[in-house]
Amino acid sequence: MPAEHVGPPPVPPHPPRTVLAATAVGKRYDGIPVLAEAGITLRAGEVHALVGENGAGKSTLVKILSGVVRPDTGRVLLDGREVAFATSRQASAAGVALVSQELAIFGDLSVAENLFPHGLPRRAGLTSNAEAERRARPVLDELGLRLRLDTRAGDLDLADRQLLEICRALLTEPRVLILDEPTSALPKEAVDRLAAVLLRTRGRGIAVLYISHYLEEVLRFSQRVTVLRDGRVTLGGAEIATVDLAALVTAMLGEEHAAPEPRAAPAPAPASGPAREPGAAAVVLDSVTVPGRLDRVSLTARRREVVGLAGLQGAGHLTVLEVTGGRARPASGSVRLPGGVAPRSLRQATGHGVAFVPSDRKRYGLMLDRPVWENITSVSWLGLHRGGLLLHRRALVDRAARSARSLRVDGGVHRRTGELSGGNQQKVVFAKWLDTDPSVMLLDDPTRGVDIRARAEMHAVIRALADEGREGRAVLVASTDLSELVELCDRVLVLQRGRIVDELSGERLTQQALSVSMNAGFAG
Amino acid sequence: MTQPVTAEESTADRSHGAGPRGRAWRRRLMRDELGVSLVLVLLVAAAGIAHPAFVHKDNLLSIAQNSSYVGLMAVGMVFALAMREVDLSVGGTYTLCLVVGAVLIRDGTDPWLSLLVTLPLAALLGAFNGLVTTVLEIPSFIVTLGTAMLYRGMALALADGRQISNLPAGNSFFTVLGGTVLSVPTSVWVLLVALIVFTVVLTRTRFGAQVRAIGSNPEAARFSGLPITRTRIKALALTGLMSGVAGALALAFFIAGDPTVGQGYELTAIAACIIGGTSLAGGRGSVPGAVFGSLILSVVAAALVFFQVPINWTTFATGAVILLAVALDSALRRSRGVGLKQGAAAVVSRLFRRSA
Ligand SMILES: Nc1ncnc2c1ncn2[C@@H]1O[C@H](COP(=O)(O)OP(=O)(O)OP(=O)(O)O)[C@@H](O)[C@H]1O
Ligand SMILES: [Mg+2]
Repeated sequence: MPAEHVGPPPVPPHPPRTVLAATAVGKRYDGIPVLAEAGITLRAGEVHALVGENGAGKSTLVKILSGVVRPDTGRVLLDGREVAFATSRQASAAGVALVSQELAIFGDLSVAENLFPHGLPRRAGLTSNAEAERRARPVLDELGLRLRLDTRAGDLDLADRQLLEICRALLTEPRVLILDEPTSALPKEAVDRLAAVLLRTRGRGIAVLYISHYLEEVLRFSQRVTVLRDGRVTLGGAEIATVDLAALVTAMLGEEHAAPEPRAAPAPAPASGPAREPGAAAVVLDSVTVPGRLDRVSLTARRREVVGLAGLQGAGHLTVLEVTGGRARPASGSVRLPGGVAPRSLRQATGHGVAFVPSDRKRYGLMLDRPVWENITSVSWLGLHRGGLLLHRRALVDRAARSARSLRVDGGVHRRTGELSGGNQQKVVFAKWLDTDPSVMLLDDPTRGVDIRARAEMHAVIRALADEGREGRAVLVASTDLSELVELCDRVLVLQRGRIVDELSGERLTQQALSVSMNAGFAG
Repeated sequence: MTQPVTAEESTADRSHGAGPRGRAWRRRLMRDELGVSLVLVLLVAAAGIAHPAFVHKDNLLSIAQNSSYVGLMAVGMVFALAMREVDLSVGGTYTLCLVVGAVLIRDGTDPWLSLLVTLPLAALLGAFNGLVTTVLEIPSFIVTLGTAMLYRGMALALADGRQISNLPAGNSFFTVLGGTVLSVPTSVWVLLVALIVFTVVLTRTRFGAQVRAIGSNPEAARFSGLPITRTRIKALALTGLMSGVAGALALAFFIAGDPTVGQGYELTAIAACIIGGTSLAGGRGSVPGAVFGSLILSVVAAALVFFQVPINWTTFATGAVILLAVALDSALRRSRGVGLKQGAAAVVSRLFRRSA
């Protein structure tokens, strides 16, 4: 187990040297400025964090640094010399590797082919799997990826695919490693391993830039931090010792938001609030077994209740969501939705009031080439057949606009969804399920990539969904972010190896306790 | 609908609103079909300047008539392609319907009543494609590669490999469907009606939206509870039906059932769709574009005759036109939002960038 405490950074062998820098970068999309006079410097042997609200321009800035996007104005300097990478392959040849926010995995290719996208290593002129294994295995081990190299990459879950992309970047032996929200889909233990890897790369003089919405993590792992707000730098490369959480939040949101406002930060630990009476049972699992994934799991989720599901990767907590949402079928045991129906397919479950918000929005959540309003109304109109045979565009657009506004999706609902920033795309996935007025919500990392303010607001919406309405709703939520479970849930069920091993609620529901319970029996 | 908390129902905020809808709609229509319609007009104009007889009304109508059979198939094919399926059996369906109709009429069935057999048959053949694709979980490309031969083989067997003639040419079926209405060929009228009806179906109905949503991201569509199987079967049935309509019109026009016609129509129909801006990757389709596309192919074929290009070069020329049209269209699309002038500039620069 990697230690919680990252430890004093080893002194870099040379005085800090700037490797990659961007100065006075400006970028507009459709005439709207996304970056203005933005700049950043990356030094050899540092971990540099980049933070900011959704849509602040973080991804755009790192795309400019790595040659994916051309700036309108400003310069990018590598070792003091101006560069203009024409392709990301050129950037990677120059030692700049980017792991982008929206993963680019070749789903039909093997893990090995994904790790060496420009061709597997050769031996005696022929591609050699043994050679690929020899080169890749140490890097995979470092990040805790226990995979056969011939696994089809499309079969991996989101966390593993994220790690796979990081491995791919590390294998190019970069001098600058840029990670766009690498931890948003990673479970805690993988985050710790990644931190250890980053620490080692620092020692080798590599410059690391990483984007994250988890500010505690930023304070823990990085040496310097840059904050963007509306495309401008509000904190430029500050030494981490000189900032604290409050300073970061102020830089991100502006002075007026510095004080925690009640709406943005709802009272934590809702479980300790006024006693809430859970309603009728809405989801009942009785001795459900899915071979290799769930072992005789029984649970009841009531209306007006937010039930968390926690576990290490592969513990089965996500399978609980899948059997409830009709995505997986139990081999034995029964699953009951409201009205006593058993979920048979995603479509049938949706028809019975189940909303399943997947964590992999690009793959399962969104039509990136369609406008936002089409995405938001797609389940209710196209899946549930609400709203007639003919297109009532105005009604659909207005409805979508209302829910986009309530979740503060950036820009209008006519924008192509792929143009939205990552966090805003996540809000669209959430909005499309809100639009169905479900009676059971299944959430898998519902706030992945969403900034702290919007995250608090989404939590308030989820809580309200559970509590409001005539009978209330049942919410089942899994999250790689333990603090999310603590803030959101009335009680959390902990799974290990397909079985429920613990239930935490009230006073006992803390991140510490969750972590201990998830890992219990594995240590030593 | 529940939109709890945080919803500030401020009517002042128009940034989320619908915007200038009418204009946006017209602009999109222009943008999507601009490229193909431009190519079509330019081709006709160029041929007309060289050979004024080319733009004579009769010649243009006969070109339209020639394009109408593939045009109808292309209209159906748009639905298959827009949902990431493909139907290679449209040529076979066309021929089978043609032959079945001819056999029925030869054996004494009222020609009009034969439509009650051939059209449902065509839809069934299409639905069968969809069903097999779903049940066997095999791409429709492969399924219809098989059924194309199945259907054509049935036509050949049914007709005993020979053309079926001796049909009652005087029957109103042949004079009306194979003739003209208001001096325009009936098949062109049918194509026009299909163009309007299916443009509406694809862009303004739930079924059309389902087709495009599934094509855009099938996995997300499954997660969103869309009726994928049903939509696929419906879409492929529609593609089949349009081939059947084309077959019936061809039977009425040729007054004969030849089991060897319609070879390669499936690829021509797909080419027409692609020229018209329908994406093979799904999610996007244009019915007017497909009709323009089939007109372009038909114009090229006719022009080659006018220019007395040796018959052996026509295939080559058709291929060149397909590539040019697609290049022009994609360049226009890339420069969307900009004016025609910049669009043309973009085309030119794209054409020459490679060689620079
Ligand atoms: N290809 C594009 N076309 C149009 N607008 C774009 C495009 N890419 C990004 N934008 C816009 O630029 C702005 C900044 O986006 P960016 O992805 O850089 O945000 P971000 O800081 O990474 O946010 P997040 O935390 O949500 O990932 C957003 O308003 C986004 O909509
Ligand atoms: Mg981003």
